[in-house]
Amino acid sequence: MIKLKGITKTYYRGKVETPVLLGIDLHVRPGEFLAIMGPSGSGKSTLLHILGLLDRPSGGSYLLDGSETSTLNDDELARLRNAKLGFVFQAFHLLPKSTALDNVLLPFTYAGHFPQDAAHRARHALARVGLEHRLHHRPGEMSGGECQRVAIARALVNDPEVIFADEPTGNLDQRSSLEVISILQGLNAEGRTIVLVTHDTAVGCMCRRLVRLIYGRVDSDEIIAEPTQAMRQLQTLMEAAK
Amino acid sequence: MSLAWRLLKAALSSLWAFRSYAALMMIGLIIGIASLTVIHQIGQGAQQQVAARMASMGFGADAFYISSGGGRLGVRRGMKRAVTLTPVDAASISRLDGVAQVVPHKNVARTQVTAGSNHTNTRVRGAPPGWAAARNWSMLHGRFISRADIGQSARVAVVGTTVVRELYGGANPVGRRLRIGRTPFIVVGVLESKGSSGWRDRDDIILVPLSTATKRLSRDDKISGMRVTMTDASRVEEIKGEVTAVLRENHSLGPGVPDDFLIITPDELMKLITRQSRSLVVMLTFVSAVSLFVSGVVIMNIMLVAVSERAYEIGVRRAVGARRRDILYQILMESLMVAAAGGVCGLLLGILLSYLATLLLGIPTAFSPSGFLWALGFSAAVGLFFGVAPAKKAAGLHPVEALR
Ligand SMILES: Nc1ncnc2c1ncn2[C@@H]1O[C@H](COP(=O)(O)OP(=O)(O)O)[C@@H](O)[C@H]1O
Ligand SMILES: [Mg+2]
Repeated sequence: MIKLKGITKTYYRGKVETPVLLGIDLHVRPGEFLAIMGPSGSGKSTLLHILGLLDRPSGGSYLLDGSETSTLNDDELARLRNAKLGFVFQAFHLLPKSTALDNVLLPFTYAGHFPQDAAHRARHALARVGLEHRLHHRPGEMSGGECQRVAIARALVNDPEVIFADEPTGNLDQRSSLEVISILQGLNAEGRTIVLVTHDTAVGCMCRRLVRLIYGRVDSDEIIAEPTQAMRQLQTLMEAAK
Repeated sequence: MSLAWRLLKAALSSLWAFRSYAALMMIGLIIGIASLTVIHQIGQGAQQQVAARMASMGFGADAFYISSGGGRLGVRRGMKRAVTLTPVDAASISRLDGVAQVVPHKNVARTQVTAGSNHTNTRVRGAPPGWAAARNWSMLHGRFISRADIGQSARVAVVGTTVVRELYGGANPVGRRLRIGRTPFIVVGVLESKGSSGWRDRDDIILVPLSTATKRLSRDDKISGMRVTMTDASRVEEIKGEVTAVLRENHSLGPGVPDDFLIITPDELMKLITRQSRSLVVMLTFVSAVSLFVSGVVIMNIMLVAVSERAYEIGVRRAVGARRRDILYQILMESLMVAAAGGVCGLLLGILLSYLATLLLGIPTAFSPSGFLWALGFSAAVGLFFGVAPAKKAAGLHPVEALR
């Protein structure tokens, strides 16, 4: 599905060069739940932006579904982001003046044609993250956990091949974090491919494969035989609270 | 359809979200478009009024008017004019080949007019029998001046409805008496009302036989002016030349002495009026062009600031698949809509101000659909032109940078 070979990224600010990625080889297969971990500044977000076609690498090759992406122009990248990818960010990145429903509808606005059943699909996506009762709330009227679930619904609504999440629990308390991860685990169980960036080991251990990044290189790449089930942790937490 | 509607809705809702900015952006436009509208409506009003007045004077393309006193059209207003034309002149001109009709008149200085215990001050004019037909007046009561009245220099008067109201309290005055100065007259007819032509009440008039005016109401037998109708409109210029020659000879004007009369053709009158209103329109257009330009610059700068503030929103849209040009169109659409909204507000304000100008200052104004199109077109052009820089800035943002 995704094949990176020798991906490098160097930022230039004036004459200052900052090499961030020094040659990443990575293969993401359909149905995986991949966590990218690493210390702060190791280039996790940079890598995720490149994976998500939000940014271009300085060198190397990126095959998405077997076709090279480095030769695509800006509009073609936008089309791919719209059709095949979904994003969840640490800071939610919802439109603050729009309702949950309108936020989830946003990808359809740029889909070339607005599907007849858009509203139905948006409601369905919101129901999938347990927010069917928050359709007309604005981000300011919802908790952080709810906002992040709206963001997941938005990433989900156009049925993407991969969902990318950059520190999705970074701004959330423990309980909301577990809710968000349990939703992602549920999506993965249904076959959805997910790539998640985190510096939280507990979150990393809820994924099925863990790639460690250090100084712009892949340091380790392992399969987690028995990922922690967020749902079970959540139940434990609720019982403890009683 | 649904997509277009969504884009429109998105533009509307972000305008609403940034409404304090939008209001600021619209102020200059509202002022500019409002003044443009007022200019346009005043111009339209003047033109309509002139056209109506010329029609009511029976001023077709086949006629011209000769006025006593020299000078140039448009610069004599307010100057006291010498009364130089005579009944002999009128007779000479009516004998010219191609002249169909000559209708002279004599203005008597404004005098006190009394009927019983009522009195008023009104325009008194001596006219021949053909005058009413030539100027499209019809009779409300009684009759107009007759040939016999002229022959006898009869002391009969035809009055306008304003005079009827002021002297007789609105009752039909035919057969009743009135005095012009000290001279007694009998009212024989009432003119149908023509209403006001803006600067003067045309029903505030008393007509007497031309010969009565020259013999009984003034000390000279001069006439103030005459309307000359041609048999053929194409001969106006030619006959104008002949009339000039005849009048100069009648008045014994040597070479180099300027004319002591003025020939006014409908063409010249129309040109004069459009020239006068055009200079006003050009000036005010300049004023509103400046305010539109300034408002355009304001719009541009506010939108540039707004784009930096909304970088995050733009980043989100790009992340979910908006292309550069989607962002470009969105911002252009927003500036276009701000401008169009400002234009509509300005238009409404302009219509209101024009109405007030008519109501309070008596300036004639008229609405025309072309003014509506101009206002919308102008503001849309301002919005589009000055929206380009902010739209390009927004479209050029890198998605990752924008989301930071
Ligand atoms: N636009 C940029 N210009 C220059 N340096 C950058 C830019 N973006 C990120 N960096 C640098 O790249 C390194 C990796 O950043 P990032 O990918 O955000 O790390 P992580 O997400 O792992 O914390 C950091 O040292 C950061 O300062
Ligand atoms: Mg990061």
